[in-house]
Amino acid sequence: MHVVNEVGMSESKQVVVEMLSLVNPVESVSPDCALEDVAEYFSDPKYSKLLSLPVVENGMPIGVLSRYRFMDIYLKRYARELYGKKPIRNFINQSPLLVELEQPLAEAAQHVSANMSFPLTEDFIVTRRGRYLGVGFVMDLLKAMEQKMRANTDELETAYTQLKSSQMALVQSEKMASLGQMVAGVAHEINTPLGYVQNNVSIGQELFLQIQTMLAEYESLVDKLLNDQSSEEQITTQMQVVAEMRGDVNTQEMLGEMHVLMTDSLYGIEQISELVLNLKNFSRMDAAATDVVNVNDCIESALNIGRNVLKNKVEVVKHLGDLPLISCAPSQLNQVFLNLFTNAAQAMEDQGVLTIRSWSDEEAVNISVADNGKGIPQENLMRIFDPFFTTKPVGEGTGLGLSISHQIIQQHGGEIRADSHVGEGTCFYIKLPVRVVASAQVTPALPEMEGSNPKEMVYE
Amino acid sequence: MSKKTLLLIDDEERILRSLRMLFFSGYNVRMTTDPQEAIQILRDEKVHVIVSDQRMPTMQGSELLRIARDTSPATMRILLTGYSDLDASIASVNEGEVFRYLMKPWNADEVKKVVAEAATIAESSFAVQSNADTALDLPHDRPRVLIMDYDEMTAKTVHDTLGDRCEIIWASDAQHAMEVLAKQDVSVVVSDLMLGDTNVGYILKTIKQLNPQTQCIVVTSFSDTSRLIELINQAQITRFLPKPVSTGVLARNLESMLERFHLVRSQPALQKRQTVAPISSPQEKVLAGNFMGMLGKLRARISV
Repeated sequence: MHVVNEVGMSESKQVVVEMLSLVNPVESVSPDCALEDVAEYFSDPKYSKLLSLPVVENGMPIGVLSRYRFMDIYLKRYARELYGKKPIRNFINQSPLLVELEQPLAEAAQHVSANMSFPLTEDFIVTRRGRYLGVGFVMDLLKAMEQKMRANTDELETAYTQLKSSQMALVQSEKMASLGQMVAGVAHEINTPLGYVQNNVSIGQELFLQIQTMLAEYESLVDKLLNDQSSEEQITTQMQVVAEMRGDVNTQEMLGEMHVLMTDSLYGIEQISELVLNLKNFSRMDAAATDVVNVNDCIESALNIGRNVLKNKVEVVKHLGDLPLISCAPSQLNQVFLNLFTNAAQAMEDQGVLTIRSWSDEEAVNISVADNGKGIPQENLMRIFDPFFTTKPVGEGTGLGLSISHQIIQQHGGEIRADSHVGEGTCFYIKLPVRVVASAQVTPALPEMEGSNPKEMVYE
Repeated sequence: MSKKTLLLIDDEERILRSLRMLFFSGYNVRMTTDPQEAIQILRDEKVHVIVSDQRMPTMQGSELLRIARDTSPATMRILLTGYSDLDASIASVNEGEVFRYLMKPWNADEVKKVVAEAATIAESSFAVQSNADTALDLPHDRPRVLIMDYDEMTAKTVHDTLGDRCEIIWASDAQHAMEVLAKQDVSVVVSDLMLGDTNVGYILKTIKQLNPQTQCIVVTSFSDTSRLIELINQAQITRFLPKPVSTGVLARNLESMLERFHLVRSQPALQKRQTVAPISSPQEKVLAGNFMGMLGKLRARISV
């Protein structure tokens, strides 16, 4: 126990504790001990488990004497007479297996197993800073090592599970982040029409109150005119009130403008409805997850949603060809296109042109999305579809956008690739197979999406 | 008395038509969808208040307001935007130096009130401009700089830049900062938004209410657009520098804010340009109230 307290070094504490449990602090034997006396030790119950005796001089281990070696010598004829009185110094193995107390378990096990002899005839000696501490059994060491390996495997498995679930969480957060960005963008866009519609309505309300008052005054004038009992003076006063109101240029002007403001308000409300409709179309919350659609519609839907990112910055050039209907998960394709459009917008520092083409051949629907932004260096181009690869500063991108897009296109049995030239721009090509012949009716889900929610499918 | 001039800029004509209806009876309203035309109007006419949109095809509102600052310094600048992005709000402080950052959709009464307030302030600014020699010749006290930031880099830059000219106080915590502010006038405050666990926004807001000369520079890694907008309107912070901020940038801004302090101090009419809006958050109102109470007591004691 004394040993434990003394070896309380913090960083290697764990290592020491592991090794310490393997140490049998048996009393060592002096090299000057006579060979015949060693027989006593071997028969002593204290040493019964030992394969070999540790031989120590001035606290330093200088060797071991194994039962095997002892028997070997002692069973020879006249050995007792010849060697009995000789010090064991002459018979010991001078290069015993030595392990330092602070040595990591794995390192110790490696050293011992590399240097031990077969059959196993010796124990190893544990030292602390070179001085004898006790004896360890090879089997114990190997057993401890095995246990440790098993624990490590468990740890690895736990780490793997955690990693997997955190990746799922990240994918989810990427989804939420792009959704959040999209919603925020649209919400802001709604603020402009909402601003003038709200203002116009409140102006209208104020004007309405003024008109109500005006009407009341007019009515009062008419009443007074019709009433025989009204005095001339009363009528004159009331006429003055009305004349003053009529002369109020502000009210006149407001009345004149109100018609325009009402038209504007209706236009604004239409704008708001359109934005909400775009959101609905994009998310397709109320539509089937898989549907037979024209990919051009997905492109348009993503453009509508991405408008706020692209607006004032990017000129969009569309060359959309006639496409056959294909069976796909439209909300996912929308997500892919929006991702490509927003990436393109971010790649363009100032004004830029985004060119979107679509065309089809017998097998596939093709889409290309090209920007004239800063381009992607060759070494990065190879990695853009890798999960977590991002060139954006920490916190600004999860590096999952393109990786998810890649997965989505693969789930559709398609291909996505990119060409880029630094300083000229980047072009993404998407190829989606025309698997299902266009038909009016909604076909069942794609084979690989069968029976499961494709939204979740993609990320697994 | 002739009507004051209000200049409206937005790329959406309907916004202009709508806003015009709020103001045409009280103001000479000029409006355009073209920022270049707006700049021309600023050159040619005496404009009291400019209200600009942020996102426009040919120019950002903050950029237009920066130009307005140079072209017509007395004009009060207001941003009216539907987008609350951080970059825009930072630019509106540092470049546009806006009087108010207002959001669409707006509250008609509030916008009317803000514009009216701004127009009155602009009128007195124009008066100062035409009478440049009204500057007060004040004794040159040693300016005082208060640092409310645990970041040593900030403190070091302040010392290196202004150490030879100013008394510098590095607040150990929010309480200490309030005591310093209560006892004496401070020329420039350099503050993070968080001092340890304390959100010090209310301190900046209160101090600006009491002492409009004090110029506030916020240096922070905290990026929350809505809080920044609050600080623009309710604390009239003059600079917002996101961390990490280079020593050069901080040093330059410290110099210009110290200069601003001297200018504002010598021209009391200019102080009104940084009039703050009332504190909106109920919690901050309580905190600010307590701070005011403490300040009242302390100042009363000192003056006795």
